[in-house]
Amino acid sequence: MPEIFINGQAIQARDDQTVMQVALENGIFVPYFCWHPQLSTAGNCRMCLVEVEGRGLDIACNMPVSAGMKVFTDSDDVKAHRKAILQFITLNHPVDCGICDKAGECTLQDYHYAYNGEASLSHDEKVKSTKFYNLSNRILLDNERCILCLRCTRFTHEISKSMALGIERRGDVSNIRPVEDRPLSEDPYSDNIIDLCPVGALLSRQFLHKSRVWYLKPTPSICPGCSRGCTINIWHRKPEWFLKSLDQRQNTSIARITPLENPAVNGPWICNKGRDLSRIFERVRADEPMLKGRPVSVAAALDEARRIISAARHPLALISNWGSNEELDAFKQHLGEVFHSFVKHDWQAAEGERLEDDLLIRADKNPNTAKARELFHEGAPAYHDGTDVVLIWGEGYDFARIPPRAKVIFLNSYLAPENGHANVFIPISIQTERRGRYTNFQGVVSAFEPCFPKKDTVTDAEALFKALAAPARGHP
Amino acid sequence: MAGRQLFMTFPVTETSHSLAEYRARGGYTALEKALRQMKPAEIVKEVTAAGLQGRGGAAFAVGRKWQVIQYDDGQPHYLIANADEGEPGTFKDRWILENSPHQLVESMIIASYALNVRNAFVYIRGEFDLPYHRLAGAVEEAYAAGYLGERILGTDFSLDLVVYRGAGAYVAGEASGLIASLEGKKSFPRNRPPRLTVKGLYQLPTVVNNVESLSNVAWIVAHGAAEYKKYGTPKSPGTRLYSVSGHINKPGVYEVELGYPWMKFLEEDCGGMRHARAIKCVVPGGVSSKVLTGADIKDLKLSHEDLWDAGSTLGSGGMIVIAEGTCMVTLLQVILRFYHHESCGQCTPCRHGTGWMHRIIDRIVAGHGQPDDIDRLYYISKFNDGTTICGLGDAAGYACTGILDKFRDEFEYYIEHKRSRLDGNLECLKSS
Repeated sequence: MPEIFINGQAIQARDDQTVMQVALENGIFVPYFCWHPQLSTAGNCRMCLVEVEGRGLDIACNMPVSAGMKVFTDSDDVKAHRKAILQFITLNHPVDCGICDKAGECTLQDYHYAYNGEASLSHDEKVKSTKFYNLSNRILLDNERCILCLRCTRFTHEISKSMALGIERRGDVSNIRPVEDRPLSEDPYSDNIIDLCPVGALLSRQFLHKSRVWYLKPTPSICPGCSRGCTINIWHRKPEWFLKSLDQRQNTSIARITPLENPAVNGPWICNKGRDLSRIFERVRADEPMLKGRPVSVAAALDEARRIISAARHPLALISNWGSNEELDAFKQHLGEVFHSFVKHDWQAAEGERLEDDLLIRADKNPNTAKARELFHEGAPAYHDGTDVVLIWGEGYDFARIPPRAKVIFLNSYLAPENGHANVFIPISIQTERRGRYTNFQGVVSAFEPCFPKKDTVTDAEALFKALAAPARGHP
Repeated sequence: MAGRQLFMTFPVTETSHSLAEYRARGGYTALEKALRQMKPAEIVKEVTAAGLQGRGGAAFAVGRKWQVIQYDDGQPHYLIANADEGEPGTFKDRWILENSPHQLVESMIIASYALNVRNAFVYIRGEFDLPYHRLAGAVEEAYAAGYLGERILGTDFSLDLVVYRGAGAYVAGEASGLIASLEGKKSFPRNRPPRLTVKGLYQLPTVVNNVESLSNVAWIVAHGAAEYKKYGTPKSPGTRLYSVSGHINKPGVYEVELGYPWMKFLEEDCGGMRHARAIKCVVPGGVSSKVLTGADIKDLKLSHEDLWDAGSTLGSGGMIVIAEGTCMVTLLQVILRFYHHESCGQCTPCRHGTGWMHRIIDRIVAGHGQPDDIDRLYYISKFNDGTTICGLGDAAGYACTGILDKFRDEFEYYIEHKRSRLDGNLECLKSS
């Protein structure tokens, strides 16, 4: 346990630590661009230069601690050099923050205000480079904004292992470029480099010029794309910035999704599927209860469902593994005695989707199989001749497999042909409209929060199960 | 002539580089002596005792580098000869590779034996054609003669030597950039720590030495450290190869002892200045070393300590002699263009700083200089010094401030009058 001194403060460090790690752990901020806790040390941005007594300046990110060393992170020399490094970085950087998606969450912008704040000292033209280089079907690259911190190339080499990015040419005309025969579009983790980029060089095509980031707020949530259950931030418009005219749908739609760092589950990464959740959540919704396709009120649908359940002799339920822990518990508590229940797998891997890998992606493409399995039977539903009522919770089940004589109670969130075929159809809320928890395949429980309000005709499944368990009021 | 020599001891002919002639000159006796009579530790001790300094530019003691290698640490070790001779004005390793390649091969075998190396490499710059073929031929001859390969000279020691051609990047001459290139990567220099002698090629202990430094080893082993120390000065023993170019009557590669009087070297060995013009300045050891004016070098001796005292360095031995009448602004333009072109682009200050300096000097030469441009060049040089992974950024700054310190008035004149104070003078003087 070597003791080191940072700005005069005595700190107990561990032998294998760098000065950067020790400083950050102890709340002493050292600015950096290229360093990242999950990536190898590149030490090329030179922003984290600190002064060591008797040794002069060196970078904190590659400086092993040694007992008694005296580090200064804010000496005059360090400040002067930081300022100069920012002069160098902004020398050829187009200061086009006004049209840059990164503005507002850009490390360079923040550092410029914090450590430099001066206009460029240069009289010369900036080096021109490629704008909007087509890196993949998901990512654009602005080489003029790039500060060559090489976080993205290191990510593809060390984390996603697609080796898809490299550097072309050298000096101040060097560019990040895709490597031949290794398309970035085949890297299912590619979008993480957009978050990694400390400036606005790597741009998401989905999010390009969609919104300024300060109009948005993140809501913690969980990616339901597979049983890993990565924690995510769903970014949506802040209520105080709601549009009152123009396209008001923007107020209640997902602007973008980023990882929510979680060492227990996904670290700082998520896969591209997790960025595309709007494709799942923003499908056309079913928002009216129906009896055999005839729209009715929620109360009428509930009554009919209760009547069917109370008349049933051998009711069977198919449990959604997209239900939250609370909903699954509620079903077990209120209806567990009534129904013979089986776990249903709502989603299967899509055509061409990566099935499984060593990093995050799991073969089970549903978020809460672990909890559902704990409470209910796994395996094919045991229909028999006497099965007279089937409750189907969630999508992904082929109605042709239901015994023909059985009555069907269907709980679903999205528009589907089956909705109208069910004896009773009740629309239920989706993950972005309610609060809940999922248990991932490792048994780690994470929580998600509501982002948007739900319609009155849409019911939360948890409340629904309680209501279904109440005695039927009798048919009017 | 230049007194005692270690390298240039034979007349260069069409065949003087061959194994037969090298053996006739006493070649490979040092290897026999090392393998049969000496223990590896004794060789390291001998080289350390000889006080041999690196000849690549930094003059780091070879013995100290070797001592870091633990002979019996159970890991493979590597030895690399740095033949990526790219410092502008330097072409002295080329002389060894072309005319005495076996001296390098023999020395590398001895060094490998001393450092417990099984695989050694020569990283030779891609532009070297004849040197490459001469060296490759020498390696082939050495294999055929049993000096390389399995069980050399019947002992238990085996060594394979690979000659690897670079692709022509100046920064690959930096030891860690060289290793990255040898590993098949972009030649980005690496952060220290770890040092290359701890984690070098393939993350294993590696010694990278300059061709000329290594080539001294055979001689030291053959004759002993005590004999070697009789050459040169007490602090800088041995001889050095200088590649002399510029406005001099007999440019070429010369070998003189360290501590040789500089003016005597230029006047007598190199035949004096062309057209007997005065010396304006001398780049002592590649453009990365600071220039010295004719007055500066008058009483200097060619030794590390003298040059360090004068604020410069012997560097790589690439001496460029510049006559009175040369425009220093355009000279600096050429130098800064080189650094801009060769910056690998890894570290921020050098990537942008070298380009910035180049654009400033281009603008000055084009007649669009601004009064604060000189301050700006100083600013860039200052913040490139010591802030980058390798020394390329530092070197660009040294080259720039070295010239600005001594010839600032020329730059001020150029910026003010939009033309050189010396344009045409060089040609005028030629006729006189």
